[in-house]
Amino acid sequence: MANRQPESRIWIFAEQRSGQPADVVFELLGKARLLAAAPGWKVGALLIGHNVSGTAALLENRGADEILVADNPGLEDYRGGNYLAVVDRAVRNYQPDVVLFGATAMGVDLASRLAARLRTGLSAHCIDLELNEKGELAAVIPWPGGDFLGRIVCPRHRPQMATVSPGIFDVPRSDFPEAEVLTIDGALNSDRGFYRILEKKPEERKPGDLENARVVVVGGYGIGARENWALVEELASVLGGVAGATRPPVDEGWVNADLMVGQSGRTVHPRLYIGVGVSGHLHHLVGVKGTELKVAVNQDTRAAIFDHCDLGLAGDYREIIPALIAALKEPRAGGDL
Amino acid sequence: MTIDRETGTMIRRDVPSVINPLDRHALEASVRIRERHGGRVTALSMAPDDVLPVLKESLARGADRLVLLSDRRFAGGDTLATACVIAAAVGHLGTFDLVMCGDETTDSGTAQVSAQIAEFLDVPNIMHVDDCGVSPDGDLRLHSRNEEGAFTAEGQTPMVVSVTADINEPRYVTLMDVLDSEGKEVLILSADDLPLEESWIGLEGSPTRVLELFEPERKSRAEMLSGTPAEQAAVLADRLRRLGFRNG
Amino acid sequence: MDFTLSERDRMLQKSIREFAEKELPPRMDRMEETGEFPLDLLEGLAKMGILGVITPREYGGSGLGHLARVLVLEQLGRICPAIPMSLEVHHMCVYGINTWGTEEQKKKYLPALADGKTLGVFAVTEPGGGSDVGGTQTTARLDGNDYVLNGRKCFITNAHVSDIWVVAAMTGEGRKGMSAFIVEKDFPGAGTGHVEDKLGLRGANTGELVLQDCRVPKENLLGGEGNGMSVALETIVKCGRTGMASVGLGILNAVLEEAVKFANERVLYGKPISRLQAIQFYLSDIYSDLEIARLLAYRAGWLLDNELPADAEATLAKQWICEAAARSARKAVEIHGSYGILKEYPVQRLLRDALVTVPAGGTAEIAKVVLSRQAMS
Repeated sequence: MANRQPESRIWIFAEQRSGQPADVVFELLGKARLLAAAPGWKVGALLIGHNVSGTAALLENRGADEILVADNPGLEDYRGGNYLAVVDRAVRNYQPDVVLFGATAMGVDLASRLAARLRTGLSAHCIDLELNEKGELAAVIPWPGGDFLGRIVCPRHRPQMATVSPGIFDVPRSDFPEAEVLTIDGALNSDRGFYRILEKKPEERKPGDLENARVVVVGGYGIGARENWALVEELASVLGGVAGATRPPVDEGWVNADLMVGQSGRTVHPRLYIGVGVSGHLHHLVGVKGTELKVAVNQDTRAAIFDHCDLGLAGDYREIIPALIAALKEPRAGGDL
Repeated sequence: MTIDRETGTMIRRDVPSVINPLDRHALEASVRIRERHGGRVTALSMAPDDVLPVLKESLARGADRLVLLSDRRFAGGDTLATACVIAAAVGHLGTFDLVMCGDETTDSGTAQVSAQIAEFLDVPNIMHVDDCGVSPDGDLRLHSRNEEGAFTAEGQTPMVVSVTADINEPRYVTLMDVLDSEGKEVLILSADDLPLEESWIGLEGSPTRVLELFEPERKSRAEMLSGTPAEQAAVLADRLRRLGFRNG
Repeated sequence: MDFTLSERDRMLQKSIREFAEKELPPRMDRMEETGEFPLDLLEGLAKMGILGVITPREYGGSGLGHLARVLVLEQLGRICPAIPMSLEVHHMCVYGINTWGTEEQKKKYLPALADGKTLGVFAVTEPGGGSDVGGTQTTARLDGNDYVLNGRKCFITNAHVSDIWVVAAMTGEGRKGMSAFIVEKDFPGAGTGHVEDKLGLRGANTGELVLQDCRVPKENLLGGEGNGMSVALETIVKCGRTGMASVGLGILNAVLEEAVKFANERVLYGKPISRLQAIQFYLSDIYSDLEIARLLAYRAGWLLDNELPADAEATLAKQWICEAAARSARKAVEIHGSYGILKEYPVQRLLRDALVTVPAGGTAEIAKVVLSRQAMS
């Protein structure tokens, strides 16, 4: 068992799928690098899988000081218990102060079980992280209710753990000093997976998809009914964009959960964002980043969204949106400027 | 075969209390398994006891009994403390084959609790399940779908399974179901009934703490357009055109 | 005096509400256009236990009773009043057979009425008299093992969508000359006639029954020869009026919700019109009507469940609530301003629905005759 080094460590779980690191790993490494600016901190990437030396190479200059690799045929597929055993062992050996996971399906599952196994705290779907001189991590999350943010700390338990959704942090540059690659113990007692995978099917990334869309039109609770959703889609289509939703339309069953934009949904980076019937809860707004123009249409002049956008239209979307669509479809008189 | 199912509902006093929507799907899935393969479905919830009438809906939805974990000392717990209590209750109730939950709750949505319950019970877990069946040899066959793709897995009971809304369409509660629910067992357990230390539960049992709540920096207010809806739409369309947004 | 609803009642409200909110809206446009009852809903209504809410469990019903029936019809009426209109008459048919039927009759007909095979009909009204029950002209003459019925019944709810009818006919003269029969649509000589095109409660089928030498086996005499007036009156007063009261109550729920919703959304003078006192006073009137209606309807149901006299209370409930529904719906239309008279807004349909409830099951004038007797006793 390795002795605890005098340095403080921030670890990122370097989730990989078929040898490719998940995008969120680069985002987290970049953030960790910023947090670890004080002397005495080391950023580590924990990479687990089979035949992953190539994957380690892809992480070399992305902000980690060291890449800890556990390579074992039994780690080819994530089967719950197999990864958990290896990560658990690594954490107990190296005792990092902070361990961060992307809030992906694998990340959340693994982080949750690990935190329970280690009897430590886990903050979910953070939108920001802060580290003070004492090595205490504060996780910022939108508070249930939608108008406040909360700062969550884990005063007495270690490691301090958090999950962060993809897209919350920006991908940093890729010219950091090269990381040291260390091999760690990837052995598994027996077949330590929890279940057998019979069949796997990767999801195709559709080109018109939310994360890549230049224009996103989001429908909120104000849309009112499933029958009215077509207006959101039509507006998105006229603008060459993609439709998204806040949580209430998903909960009401008007749209599928994979359209949800927000803290625990998808993060979008459009040039243009139009929120229709969106009240402006922080849970949703934190999923919308880097827009040139944010527009909101809402009946309620007191809606929070009007404090978080550039242009506001107060009125009934059922009158405004059709008029907008018609105006956009009109051929421009006299040619463009 | 005994099946236990938990609801892990987090109910707050200031909103009308309802059963967490995803938990209805989990309950429906459990009831369908019982209808096909036999067993007993227990609805388990951690909540203040004034919510009991709402939770009885789970009996009308097919659960054979309702177990409510109610104790002021549970309050303020984070996901670790919550999972600890629920796992202690499941363990206390005896052997089980399956614990089913919804992936997350609509109010706090951490999605962590089901995995942590499984860890405390030392059993496997799978999340984002949209299909769940029992194969002829008694193993669970599950289909899970998440943002990265889908997979079919086979696992042995006991297990914790958390489900998405895609798994089924919960049935309506009929008037007969309401009547039938009245004879069913309701058990209320407090911290004293469970193998728990006070230091594991509630605020004390929570490694995470809320340091503070604060308001985010607000930008200044948006520029509000004026006029009739049609006039506002025309102004917006014009701006969008000038910025190059018309038709992509 | 306990004014709270039991846990069972509240669960029942929730379960019917959920069913109503999902199952009724997709069918409502078609009902409004065609005036037809959505027969594909029968299966769901049966499964939910709605068709058999006053049918004892041993005959396939949910047997929950009359207050439960009020609550059920209210939740359905909140979404689509034409549905509880059809159901309340169906329940009258059930009530008649359950109260006066022989064991054989109950075993034969009650399960079919509960399990969604068919709706029921309660046919008393004729061209010669609706309010004047004593003016019945349909005759029934005993001939061997059958009664032969001749006559026409009009304004009969569910006429064209029902296979089981309770029909009032004269076997003799005067008050003791009326008898009730269970008639199946397939009996020789039984038929339907004209379909009414109503102003409101469209989606509740209303029409004519035509009996031309209709042969009804004598085992289908309901409640004994000469007892028909009791069967008719008691069913109409107790079951029918409580049912109509529930339809009106459902309408009032919808009226208040639509009025509040619109008042909060409609912005004039820079704020929602719900901030204007005039509108607030309208809303307060509608709210008061709704609360009073609830008390009247629930009380009538409770009295019936407890086998206490309920004639005056049920009559008052029906008469008062349906008037209130019409009056409040009118106010709601006015709150909507010009939008109130547009077909795309539900509030005008609610007004039309309310207007149709007023004469159904007994005109206001008859009701007042009954109530004045009570007042003077």
